[in-house]
Amino acid sequence: MSDSNEYDHLFKIVFIGDVRVGKSNLLSQITYDRFNTEYKSTIGVEFATRILNIDGKRLKAQMWDVAGGERYRAITFAYYRNVAGTILVYDISNYSSYKNIPRWLKEIRNNGNSRNRILLLGNKSDLENQREVSREEAKVFAAENGLDFIETSALDGTGVEAAFQWIMTSSYKLLLNDSIH
Amino acid sequence: MWKKLSTVCVPLQITTPTSSLIDPLHSVHSLSTTEYEERVASGIGHPELQHQHAMRAQKRQKFVDCLTAPNVDMAELRKLAWSGIPEELRPISWMILLGYLPLSAATRTAVLSRKREEYANLVQLTFARGIEGLDQQIWHQIEIDVPRTRPGVRLWMERGTQRSLERILYVWAIRHPTSGYVQGINDLVTPFFQVFLGGYIDSEPSLFDPSLLSPTALNALEADCFWCLSRLLDGIQDNYISGQPGIHRSVKHLSGLVGRVDAPLAKHLQSHNVEFMQFAFRWMNCLLMRELSVRNTIRMWDTYLVRPNAFSEFHIYVCCAFLTSWSEKLRQMDFQGIIMFLQSLPTQTWGDHEIEVLLAEAYVLSSVWHNAQSHLLKGT
Repeated sequence: MSDSNEYDHLFKIVFIGDVRVGKSNLLSQITYDRFNTEYKSTIGVEFATRILNIDGKRLKAQMWDVAGGERYRAITFAYYRNVAGTILVYDISNYSSYKNIPRWLKEIRNNGNSRNRILLLGNKSDLENQREVSREEAKVFAAENGLDFIETSALDGTGVEAAFQWIMTSSYKLLLNDSIH
Repeated sequence: MWKKLSTVCVPLQITTPTSSLIDPLHSVHSLSTTEYEERVASGIGHPELQHQHAMRAQKRQKFVDCLTAPNVDMAELRKLAWSGIPEELRPISWMILLGYLPLSAATRTAVLSRKREEYANLVQLTFARGIEGLDQQIWHQIEIDVPRTRPGVRLWMERGTQRSLERILYVWAIRHPTSGYVQGINDLVTPFFQVFLGGYIDSEPSLFDPSLLSPTALNALEADCFWCLSRLLDGIQDNYISGQPGIHRSVKHLSGLVGRVDAPLAKHLQSHNVEFMQFAFRWMNCLLMRELSVRNTIRMWDTYLVRPNAFSEFHIYVCCAFLTSWSEKLRQMDFQGIIMFLQSLPTQTWGDHEIEVLLAEAYVLSSVWHNAQSHLLKGT
């Protein structure tokens, strides 16, 4: 293989959620520290990678930004196979994107593997004055469904790195745990 | 900016009813060939360039002869359009090739007025009860996608263009309930809009603010885009219905074709677990519009519009030629390299020449493999 980016472990991470909740820009922040105001809608899937060092190990994230468009469901569920972690995104300033979270959750649990770590992510925290989903409500929902929860702003970067670190660390811990038992 | 509009539309306005003032044929009448040749010749000294331009003028004259005939000879128009249509003759040529305008010149103006009126009525009926009266799910998706259509390009950031685009997409979606609106269809409106807008102005359409057009012109432009989009989508509706079977079929066909045309590449992709669906889904869903500029797409459609079913069949050969043109590079990459490369291909500098090479290669592939396919079928 001509891969110059050597790594110890590879984790497949998918980003899902309704259209225009900011999945592509979260990915852009994670990989390039950048927010793009001129994004076209994602058609199908887009791909990015990043390497993270944890405990002297090089962990590679292979990230799939899965289009939120309703019609694409027929192809997008194929990307849930063999995922280590899922970032389930809604927009805090758009209640309907939050209301659809249970449906997305069901889709991951039906199609992905059961060991997959799921992070519920409320994006656009910079739009505090347009907030429609309270932090408390989302927190309760996350706890009830065994998810972790974080709020981020892909625009100014708040929380984005923490979300990425969380999904990678917990996927890695799960892997270590599995290899011990 | 207003040159063509003032020299062309105003005289027509005096002699014809308002509804037909924007007959796309005006570009044919507007510029006599001698005038065109003079324009071309001025400022060009090099003999080789002069020769090229003389050829172009000759080709243009053939187009003009074909388009101004009492009955357009479709076979002749297709033959001419295959290798590209002169810019100012593109609006009418596309409309005739798509079957939106009749071949007979005598009925053309009447048909055009009727279609424009029909669209105006559709819009009025559809939006009669305001935004609240619309299918909220479809409308919501369209509202989200319209500002994300060609972001950063002046024409598409203008209010007027965005409102037009919303109406075109919504009216199409509710008239096609089995597919409804699917992301990517918005991209397919842009070549029509830019080409037809070019029929009214002398400046670059992508930099134009359509609110400078008269409401009549803007309504006509919108109606023409709607009907031509509808005709294009009629041939690829399978791409957008539930489960997107058209796309699945096309991607499968492409993968099989690449396996025959460029076995080493197919093998390399397979050995790195690259699935065609991972990159070619978008190639089918947006007809390569995310990979190529609008200008490139427009040139490509000149040729597509000549062949029946080109948007579903010939397009696969184009995708095959497109992918295999990077074969050497791709065969040196691993999974990550391949996927990243294919999702941002270096086509930014592509002009007509690169597109024409691509189309020529696709044409060769389609002749070879189409025959091979029928041969195989005969053998069984």
